[in-house]
Amino acid sequence: MLNAWRWWRGIIIAFSLVAIGRLFLPLPFVNEVLIFSIYTIGCNFLLGRVGFISFGQPAYLAIGAYGTAFYLFYFGTNPYIGILAGVTAGFIFALIVAPLFVRLRSDYFALVNLALAVIIFYMMQKVLVKITKGDNGLWFLTNITSTPILDLTKPSDFFIFALLIAIVLWAFYKYVDGTIFGACCLATKINETKFQFLGYSNFRIRLMAFVIANTSTALAGCLYAVYLGSVSPEITSPSRTADPIVVTILGGVGTLFGPLVGTIAYTGLRDVISKMIGNWELFIGFILVFIMLTNSSGLYGGAENALNKWLEKARVSNLNKKKPK
Amino acid sequence: MTNSFSSLEVIQLNAAYGESKVLFDINFKVFPNEIVACVGRNGSGKTTLLKSISGFIKLSSGEVNIPNHNLVGLHPFQIAQLGIKYVPQDKKVFSDLTVRENLELGSYASKDYNWEPVFNYFPKLKLLLDRKAGFLSGGERQMLMIGRAILGAPKLLLIDEPTEGLAPSIVTHLRHVFTELSKKTSIVIVEQNLPLICALANRVYAIREGRIVAELTTPDEITPNVCEPYL
Repeated sequence: MLNAWRWWRGIIIAFSLVAIGRLFLPLPFVNEVLIFSIYTIGCNFLLGRVGFISFGQPAYLAIGAYGTAFYLFYFGTNPYIGILAGVTAGFIFALIVAPLFVRLRSDYFALVNLALAVIIFYMMQKVLVKITKGDNGLWFLTNITSTPILDLTKPSDFFIFALLIAIVLWAFYKYVDGTIFGACCLATKINETKFQFLGYSNFRIRLMAFVIANTSTALAGCLYAVYLGSVSPEITSPSRTADPIVVTILGGVGTLFGPLVGTIAYTGLRDVISKMIGNWELFIGFILVFIMLTNSSGLYGGAENALNKWLEKARVSNLNKKKPK
Repeated sequence: MTNSFSSLEVIQLNAAYGESKVLFDINFKVFPNEIVACVGRNGSGKTTLLKSISGFIKLSSGEVNIPNHNLVGLHPFQIAQLGIKYVPQDKKVFSDLTVRENLELGSYASKDYNWEPVFNYFPKLKLLLDRKAGFLSGGERQMLMIGRAILGAPKLLLIDEPTEGLAPSIVTHLRHVFTELSKKTSIVIVEQNLPLICALANRVYAIREGRIVAELTTPDEITPNVCEPYL
């Protein structure tokens, strides 16, 4: 029981704070924080655990979003089935792309993903205009039917749903980090050559990690689609390709709660500063430069390191006090 | 394929780094429970030989056989899965993982979760299980790398300069470990430490400029005095 509490406490505390924040902060802001942090956790896993930097996350986000949108616009009205359709589309897409991409070195991987995001953008904007409606996008807010228990057409119910999804997803990533597979991911990042000498295939481990990360990114796309009731090519705009990486670095690469803290900081700064001045990205840029020059662990990573140091200091000081003189 | 009596047979092996040829017509055999040492100067091709056997370097020509398998063209991970474990020279462990996680990686790959033999050879590792491997000393790292490699009862261990930069007490300990290990597996060891080689090896191959120039097989030949001219 105690062990279960120890395992869950971080997740419960973090998302309880988000739930409390819901009482004081505007609902759209909290909903966006939840969806954006779900969007970022896949990028955080790829970058922090596997060592792959991807500028193509909007592509996977868009596949999830359009998967949901196609279902809700053309075929059905149940948002849960729409989300399932989007996640399935994201999973299949990642599975198709993964064998081609994960063979590449990290720098090429970053660029080929960026190219993919651009391709998906133009596919949705121009090539598939008959079914995507081009720049106008697909509007299906009124198509979505109310569902029992959690009615996703209501933003307040959507918040609870997104919160539950986030808790499950964070628990999943925490579990994965603690498994042999998690250790394999880290090992392939640290030294891919030596990893093979143990009898592992880098390709298989990276493929699995890629599919997991981008399926969760697609899940964020599905949530965006249901929450907004519309999807347009803007979701995979080339100008937004760096967003998840910025948030990952801001929060702390490879830390469990970095994506959540980074998203709160990023979305908060954007909302607060953009009301005062237009160029809010400038501030984010300065903050990123500051973080990278002073503490590469990011906001959450830095706070976690400082807390650990303080706890260690307190423990040593207690031990010294207990020692008989 | 190799005959059933030898653990490894290398036939007419040639290897190159791009245009630069490094190994020329290497032939040798390793028999079960044998310790075979390769000696030679820096740059003579000893490490390249181990990397060629373990699949890290593609051969220009030649064969590398173990019983029932030809290793040529296999990926390093497939060769490791066949029980040929390579312990590289640079003592780089997975530094962000704990000793326990490093051993778990070895266990999961080889499906051998019994760590007792590892702790029998290296009792210190048991005390360091929760320490990040990046904080281990050079000797402890070498223990971890060898401990991880012996999980799954490998058929052949390829060990590259295991005592380089280690304290004499650890070298002595490793010597006992290799002697014990050779009762269960064959070992190919690349080493510059001649007293150690001469105490351990059943056969010694001297390599010079990518060619085997001598094969020392009798106890009278395997002495520091005889080996020294090849270094």
